[in-house]
Amino acid sequence: MNFVFHDKTISGLLLVVPANEKSFMDEMANFNFPAARSLKLAQVMGYDTHRLVDGQTCVSDLAVLGMEHLFAKDYLKREEVDALLLVTQTPDHLIPPTSSVIQGRLGLKQDMLCMDINQGCAGFVVGLIEAFVLLEQDSIRKVVLINADVLSRKVSPKDRNSYPLVGDAASVTVVERRASGESIHANLKMDGRMREALMIPAGGMRMPSNSETAQMEDAGDSNFRAKDHLRMDGSAVFNFVQTEVPPLIETLLETTGVTKEAIDFYLCHQPNQFMLQKLADKMGIPYAKMPMNVVGKYGNSSGVTIPSAIALNLSSSLKKSSLQVVLAGFGVGLTWASMLLKIGPLDFCETIDLPNKANLP
Amino acid sequence: MNEFCHQIAAILEVESIAEADLFDNIPEWDSLSNLSVIAMIDSTYGVNLTAAQVREAGTPAGLWKLVQALKKS
Repeated sequence: MNFVFHDKTISGLLLVVPANEKSFMDEMANFNFPAARSLKLAQVMGYDTHRLVDGQTCVSDLAVLGMEHLFAKDYLKREEVDALLLVTQTPDHLIPPTSSVIQGRLGLKQDMLCMDINQGCAGFVVGLIEAFVLLEQDSIRKVVLINADVLSRKVSPKDRNSYPLVGDAASVTVVERRASGESIHANLKMDGRMREALMIPAGGMRMPSNSETAQMEDAGDSNFRAKDHLRMDGSAVFNFVQTEVPPLIETLLETTGVTKEAIDFYLCHQPNQFMLQKLADKMGIPYAKMPMNVVGKYGNSSGVTIPSAIALNLSSSLKKSSLQVVLAGFGVGLTWASMLLKIGPLDFCETIDLPNKANLP
Repeated sequence: MNEFCHQIAAILEVESIAEADLFDNIPEWDSLSNLSVIAMIDSTYGVNLTAAQVREAGTPAGLWKLVQALKKS
């Protein structure tokens, strides 16, 4: 499915990461694998450090800190927020929407739209598509897109498949109309038949959480997790990415008549270094044009990884200049989406830390 | 086939592997090796295998047969 938008832009981006940093070397002992193999895994996948919340912190805590920072720095005014889109898979509560929690904690105006979107690794591209759609309305001048997840709270510490790569984070992206004459193109696909490749089995209505779903189980591959935990079929996801993502991006470029070489950066979701290297190899893209360093510094924070890649690698250049980039997100659903756009110069592009136990309501 | 065994041995960081060696009997064999073999076969032979297919193939010889069959189709 193809999308095209006109005269819309990203005007600023803020990344919020927990100050609490953990390292793979320290956590290796939790896994039921020989140390040599775990070290090999870390080397191939690019695992090193990751940022995790201290255990009580919720999505709205990260988001509120980020928003207050923007208000304090005068990057954004409270009354300017016409819509707040929150993309998360780890809401504060089942009811109400966490976007309403954030609106209430910030004291934003009533004359606005708040909406939660349940999306994962494609969540930045999906969120931007929704933001651009809303900006077609005269009454909506600025949309705040918040991507936030605290997935570490739903991953088993004894699951070497998922725990070393996971990270918690939030990003705040301000999206607005700007008469630039530029178009933004996007394409997106979904396949719900593969919905179980990434899932948390328990905790919804199909399988409510109880003492049984909290029991750690032997997954049969030396990993231990409960039904309350995230379960990822890493190999199936790898196959999916290698098969579906290159044609997705190639079709986007063909449709728009832009050559592969004309793209300054390919800003992909950051599952791990291995998957991104294989993706770059398959597409014939130099590694220098595809940042892969997020997983080893902050961890894979699902929908926040593309903003993380931007803030970590491009913040100084994006404050001054404009870059032609391709964004690509792929994961839970399954969902895969890409977007071609010019980004920058941005009004702001920063990273701030959330101190431990800070900002709890 | 010889070259294929070399490629698998390189992934496992072992000196050599024989055609009939069972993956499951090699101490270095794990889910990371499986994934690395899938990636190597994809980039070298243009065949995209699943982890289950690699497990079922069981040995370098079984895997080579599978790659050849899928390459033709």
